[in-house]
Amino acid sequence: MSWIREGELTIIERFCANIIKAGPMPKHVAFIMDGNRRYAQKCHVERQQGHSQGFDKLAQTLRWCLNLGIQEVTVYAFSIENFKRSKEEVDGLMELARQKFSRLLEEQENLKKHGVCIRVLGDLPLLPLDIQELIAQAVLATRNYNKCFLNVCFAYTSRHEISNAVREMAWGVEQGLLEPSDVSESLLEKCLYTNNSPDPDLLIRTSGEVRLSDFLLWQTSHSCLVFQSVLWPEYSFWNLCEAILRFQMNYSALQKARNSYLEERRRQEMEKDQAYVTKKLQQEGFASHGDSRRRQTLLQKCTAMKEERIQGFLQALEHKRADFFERLCTVSA
Amino acid sequence: GIFKRNNSRLMDEILKQQQELLGLDCSKYTVEFSNQDKADQVLNCQSTLKVLSPEDGKADIVKAAQNFCQLVAQQQRTHTDLDVNVLDNLLSSTNGFPDPDLVLKFGPVDSTLGFLPWHIRLTEIVSLPSHLNISYEDFFSALHHYAACEQRWGK
Repeated sequence: MSWIREGELTIIERFCANIIKAGPMPKHVAFIMDGNRRYAQKCHVERQQGHSQGFDKLAQTLRWCLNLGIQEVTVYAFSIENFKRSKEEVDGLMELARQKFSRLLEEQENLKKHGVCIRVLGDLPLLPLDIQELIAQAVLATRNYNKCFLNVCFAYTSRHEISNAVREMAWGVEQGLLEPSDVSESLLEKCLYTNNSPDPDLLIRTSGEVRLSDFLLWQTSHSCLVFQSVLWPEYSFWNLCEAILRFQMNYSALQKARNSYLEERRRQEMEKDQAYVTKKLQQEGFASHGDSRRRQTLLQKCTAMKEERIQGFLQALEHKRADFFERLCTVSA
Repeated sequence: GIFKRNNSRLMDEILKQQQELLGLDCSKYTVEFSNQDKADQVLNCQSTLKVLSPEDGKADIVKAAQNFCQLVAQQQRTHTDLDVNVLDNLLSSTNGFPDPDLVLKFGPVDSTLGFLPWHIRLTEIVSLPSHLNISYEDFFSALHHYAACEQRWGK
């Protein structure tokens, strides 16, 4: 399968894998696959070659992840900022995408066999229409597979993703599906492109750069960040193991930090709900500290109504997104 | 948190250390606290100190989102009005401040732990083992590391 290299680990690799797997393992790893062009320069080949090798390395890395039991991988394939590159390079990358997504569609049997769910995350309308159509086909064909998940960020930046999520909530308010007071961190998360994935446990960036470059800024707030100097096309199984070891060393500190953050968030959202109820009681002319049973009943009622609104909104959003892909598929049919 | 509640104590400590480290030069480097209500103060002074806490991260983005949705509910805005720039301007925790160019991260944890997720999209993240008894050499070498970084901004 072109997107996931066939093959098992060597004996030494398997030995190492077994040692690492004795400790906590990341369930979701994100990669910023940086260094294709520097690699091309180093090897005196064309940039396009560098990108092509980069794709081969992606296929190999996905195989390693599967062998290690890492079920979900997210990769930064193309940033909205990358449109600023020369027309030649952008066209080359689009052509690479065209080839690879077409190939993916030819290998549907294999995808089914391995249960690979492909998702493409980004501002897809920015892409050439034919690529959007290929993407739509790949996403729809694999949407019910659930053995492993590959999320490809294409025409993506985190700020666009977050803005889009806020825009969707505003759309929800406009449609009468949501109240402004329903807006919360947890609701915003459900509106991100990554709403069907848990946050990455581990983010790896290659080529030595130590920045996030507008990738998954929201989702990686409590992830283990590993910056490695190796250029992406030269990434090895040992580099991956090294990153996982760093994850293991950070595991308990990050678990603790993440749990305490979520606890605090839950507490604040509950406080917000209580304040909402207090206001409602005052509006209806009842003393805010009065009958605690009335308060409880009202709180339960408001919470239930909010839940219902949110479910209705999320369903409408899901529908809108599925619709977008389905319409693209009927265009090409 | 603790830092935010003890602004004056922090300022006293900064002034004291400034005198110790810089001697006669210290009057050249004025430090002021940045206060949400007085954004223009930032322009008049050499160094501005802003103390942030987790509520300035995701929670601030949510607050901006809620405010925008309120405007939509009142039909003063439509959802299509919201883009990256509009959202950026609605964030209040860093009003008037540019995005950080450099984050100095102290401690053994390899994570940003929720620090200003929106603002650090292009920020260089340099790690140092500890802020306790940090030497000037270590600090300077972190700045040096930053100076050597090559930003391509996607190009």
